[in-house]
Amino acid sequence: MGLLHSYHQYVVQNRVSAINDVLPVLPANIRSMLTALPYSFQEKIEEIRLRQGRPLLLGFSNGDVFLCAEGGLTHLINEAYQVTPLDMERVIQLISNSSLYALEEELRNGFITLPGGHRAGITGKAVLDGGKVRTLKYLSGCNIRISREVSGAASIVLPYLLDGNGGIFHTVLVSPPCCGKTTMLRDLIRQVSNGVPELGFHGLTVGVVDERSEIAGCYKGIPQRDVGVRTDVLDGCPKAEGMMMLLRAMSPRVIAADEIGRQEDVEALEEVLNAGVKVIITAHGKSMNELLDRPALGRIIKLKMLERFVILGRSRGVGTLEDVIDGISMQSIGVRKC
Amino acid sequence: MLKMIGAMLVVTASGFCGLSVAGNYQRRPRELRSLRAALQMLETEISYGATFLPEALRQVAGRCDQATAVLFSEAAAELSRMSGVTAAEAWDKALRKYYPRTALKPGDLAVLQNFGASLGISDRQDQIKHLHLAMEQIDNEAVIADDESARNVKLWRYLGFIGGLLVVLLIY
Repeated sequence: MGLLHSYHQYVVQNRVSAINDVLPVLPANIRSMLTALPYSFQEKIEEIRLRQGRPLLLGFSNGDVFLCAEGGLTHLINEAYQVTPLDMERVIQLISNSSLYALEEELRNGFITLPGGHRAGITGKAVLDGGKVRTLKYLSGCNIRISREVSGAASIVLPYLLDGNGGIFHTVLVSPPCCGKTTMLRDLIRQVSNGVPELGFHGLTVGVVDERSEIAGCYKGIPQRDVGVRTDVLDGCPKAEGMMMLLRAMSPRVIAADEIGRQEDVEALEEVLNAGVKVIITAHGKSMNELLDRPALGRIIKLKMLERFVILGRSRGVGTLEDVIDGISMQSIGVRKC
Repeated sequence: MLKMIGAMLVVTASGFCGLSVAGNYQRRPRELRSLRAALQMLETEISYGATFLPEALRQVAGRCDQATAVLFSEAAAELSRMSGVTAAEAWDKALRKYYPRTALKPGDLAVLQNFGASLGISDRQDQIKHLHLAMEQIDNEAVIADDESARNVKLWRYLGFIGGLLVVLLIY
């Protein structure tokens, strides 16, 4: 109970500062509409969605709501504040620091990382070059996602992942989208990197391949999220290539990466597994059976190369630990349901 | 005696007026060249360095001529304040501060304003196109300004004093 309480307090504190991180990238009129809202709402905002000519939407964990032109919130479309072309132009300029030309790679990926590790997804018209997206133009939609850092999110799983010899098991975090996979991964990286004296666990050097800047939320290459003291982050690097680079260059004890699924990712992963470096990865899926059906990943699971599967869900809120499965016996280790 | 002093004053005043006009004719080509060099530096920052605009502007301000630096450092400061302004607005604000202190003409201001409108809102190639356009226009203006300077500097230098003398003679 005590842990839960402090966890909630942390979330609240973190969000208030999080919204303050995001306010500077909003035009002054929208900024003042948001700051006019009661704190209790501000701190719960997860997404701010702007679509040119359409109502401004605020996303909360339990649904979305329009922002009123006169301030306040509404569910009625005709009372909602409509995002003007000027608003959109300003937002894009503020998000990009008036430097769209410097963010071509980010535009290709469809998002820009903001100071504080928050992300702004962007839509518009794609400009193609030889069948590949070169950049986006006529930017007309933007979704600012306020990222959460839940310190202690991984505390409940970490004991299942320690091998007792000062190391950790090869771990896969499995969950459907939006169930706190990345949040869990980030905290796991932090705890593995810093060490947990209460568990007699000393920190290990961790290398993180952060292809989509989601884990460490790097801004100009510097992690904006707490990913631990022994952590090296390769920001914006393709996973397969990045894992090999880390392996060769940084001699990590653990390599972490988000959303392993493609054939080349799995091939690189095999290389890492063979090099004796532990891995912490995440994969989309609801259950073990779903993972086993994945062509590339399923194969190495069947080879019993991965040792622990942590299944996350949202049966008791986002980030609920549903089960921990042993990769060798494929049996549940048994999670105490609390 | 009083008349003499009055006459001296009229001649010196109009003489200095003439000198200042001549000075403006002399300054404008220099300022245009300095602006062009600064824009060239900005191009390097944008095309090779992919530096973020506020930092790029600051870099340019640090390296260019002091009078021109005001424009870039003001715009950089305005952008870094994150007060919700676009690059074009910050540039315009800086221009309002910079322009009155220079010998530039309204046409030069229009070139700079047009350039500011496109600042930071497009991809690299497009930014470079706009920079090239602005530099070309400034080059043209500089050629004209050189020509005007050659014709007018001497004229105004003498015209001030001669005009003053004329006034004195008429009143005397």
